Amino acid sequence: MSQETTGLLEKYASEVFAGLVAPALEGMEISAAPADDLLAKEDVLVRMERELKRALEKPASERRWVMVIDLRKCIGCHACTVACVAENKLPPGVVYRPVLEEEFGTYPNVTMKFLPRPCMQCENSPCTEVCPVNATYHNEEGIVVVDYEQCIGCRACIAACPYGARTFDFGETYTEQLPVIFDGVLIGSKTAAAYEHASQEYGQAWKREGRHESPVGNVRKCHFCLHRIKDGILPACVTTCIGRATFFGDANDPDSLVSELISKPNVIRLKEELGTEPRVYYIV
Amino acid sequence: MAKKLIYALGVLTLLIGLWGFYDRLVFGEQHVNYGSAVVWGLWVAMYFFFGGVAVGSFLVASLDYLFEIKAFEGYGKPALWTSLVTLAAAMASIGLDLGHMERIWKAFVQFNPHSGIIEDVWGYTIFGVLALIALILALQGQKGTTLKIVMVLGFIAALYVAGAPGKLLGNNATRPYWHMALLPLQFLFMALTSGAAMMLLVQAFLSPKEPAPLATLVLRVALIVLLILSAYSTWAFFSQSLYGNIPSLIASVKQLTSGQYAGLFWGLEIGLGTLLPLVLLFVPDLTKNKLAGGLIGLCVLVGNAVARYLIVVPGLNVSVLKNIETAHIGRGLTLSYSPSTIEWAVVSGLVGIILLALALGTDYLPLYKKEA
Repeated sequence: MSQETTGLLEKYASEVFAGLVAPALEGMEISAAPADDLLAKEDVLVRMERELKRALEKPASERRWVMVIDLRKCIGCHACTVACVAENKLPPGVVYRPVLEEEFGTYPNVTMKFLPRPCMQCENSPCTEVCPVNATYHNEEGIVVVDYEQCIGCRACIAACPYGARTFDFGETYTEQLPVIFDGVLIGSKTAAAYEHASQEYGQAWKREGRHESPVGNVRKCHFCLHRIKDGILPACVTTCIGRATFFGDANDPDSLVSELISKPNVIRLKEELGTEPRVYYIV
Repeated sequence: MAKKLIYALGVLTLLIGLWGFYDRLVFGEQHVNYGSAVVWGLWVAMYFFFGGVAVGSFLVASLDYLFEIKAFEGYGKPALWTSLVTLAAAMASIGLDLGHMERIWKAFVQFNPHSGIIEDVWGYTIFGVLALIALILALQGQKGTTLKIVMVLGFIAALYVAGAPGKLLGNNATRPYWHMALLPLQFLFMALTSGAAMMLLVQAFLSPKEPAPLATLVLRVALIVLLILSAYSTWAFFSQSLYGNIPSLIASVKQLTSGQYAGLFWGLEIGLGTLLPLVLLFVPDLTKNKLAGGLIGLCVLVGNAVARYLIVVPGLNVSVLKNIETAHIGRGLTLSYSPSTIEWAVVSGLVGIILLALALGTDYLPLYKKEA
């Protein structure tokens, strides 16, 4: 193993990664990437973080958060789904950002299409119109939110959503069924349960204890990680995307990355014909 | 004998129901089978059904107290009592379906006037209050202007709430099966049908009096007309999508005509609930027998309840976005639905409450006492 190879891996990855991968590369010729490679450029995450902070300096009503998903880059790894579940401590059956998969063709001409589907944050949202008690509405930034303490759990908004972007919290947990060893002591359940019940959605700590305490019995949905945005952090699905296929920012800022991306002709929105005006765009 | 049977059935079904009520109130919605794809199931269907019976029964009462048709003299109080009892069951059914039923007061104080649910909540509340006032006045023996005014207002409210569930479902433009202008009308026809059928049932199994021949004849003819109208509206409702033949638009209808619900649709809704009663209603000697009339009413009610289920569930168990149902695995994310035992137990309990309340009302309220 040459000093040069190890050094190169350490530079572009990590020491641990270098230690793991380097033996397999023994004897291979490896040279440094061209100077103009992607890593030499500014990572889009850095740019989006900077733009996010710039947007937060404006009054909330002047921001227009949008998400752009590059379907050409999405590899269907589901990291965004998992990151979202972890970030929002979503229980079984509650999902904010599934990735829809579709297979095309027959062998040997087969391919897969992946479609990450967060909440579309529609400007003309059918879900808010049907809510009997105004529990779901557009906040001043235009994001469709749910007031868990107001929601009566009628699920009319789920039926109304054309994108299937809402799910109901039936009160289940991942940790409840952990095995008992003996004397009634559960393996690791205390730690796991504490983690599972520590959601910070909407900037509030949700204990989610018992069978009846909100958000149990409520409809839940993607909110573009508002609790992170207010602290200048990008949504979890954006930072976790390994292919840098998800972009986020203020479309009212003409210099933002998302403004650049959605001005291209190869951008679509789902079910645009409904006139719901989604704030999620797909690059195809 | 018939009333004893009603009491026995009522106690039995209520006992089963107590288990369901306990489970729902203690464990929340953990043991129900509806989910985030099929969001409404048996309880919502039963809410529509019981609500329809309540409206239909009130309209039967209006034949006595509003239109003062001689043949229906004496039908007012039992019909109003039936209306109130079934309305209470409808409210319980939808209340248990809510994730937070304790917050229902918000629907009166912090409401969204654009919501179809709010129209239902307010409509049924106004209707229920008017039906209660009408019953109290009738029990007091008042048949004057006050009762008439209450009945007029109640009649308007009843007509409105009869079709309101159709509007509530039809609002969902993303659900092609429901998004039909005919749906409120179909609900209206079904409510009227169920009211007439319920009266045949009540007079067969609970009424201490022999049914008035003329009233029975009118109910029989009304039921024939209403069953034909209901069947016609179902055909009109289905034909709009079937003749268009757009696969995504006919997915729900096909579940009924030739898919997973074909047995329920052809067997119970059309066969037992429509065709059999129609044939039997044309046999004059048969309907003179009040027990036979009651059984015909029962068949119509079963078909009517199945019809509500077949409106609610197939509208929801189709995908709104291709492959969304397989994108994530978890509780309630599947498109398949059949009611859980807890859901059935709760419905059993509600039926038990209705049966016992009707029987107790017959025994302890002056429902059949002639007004001065």
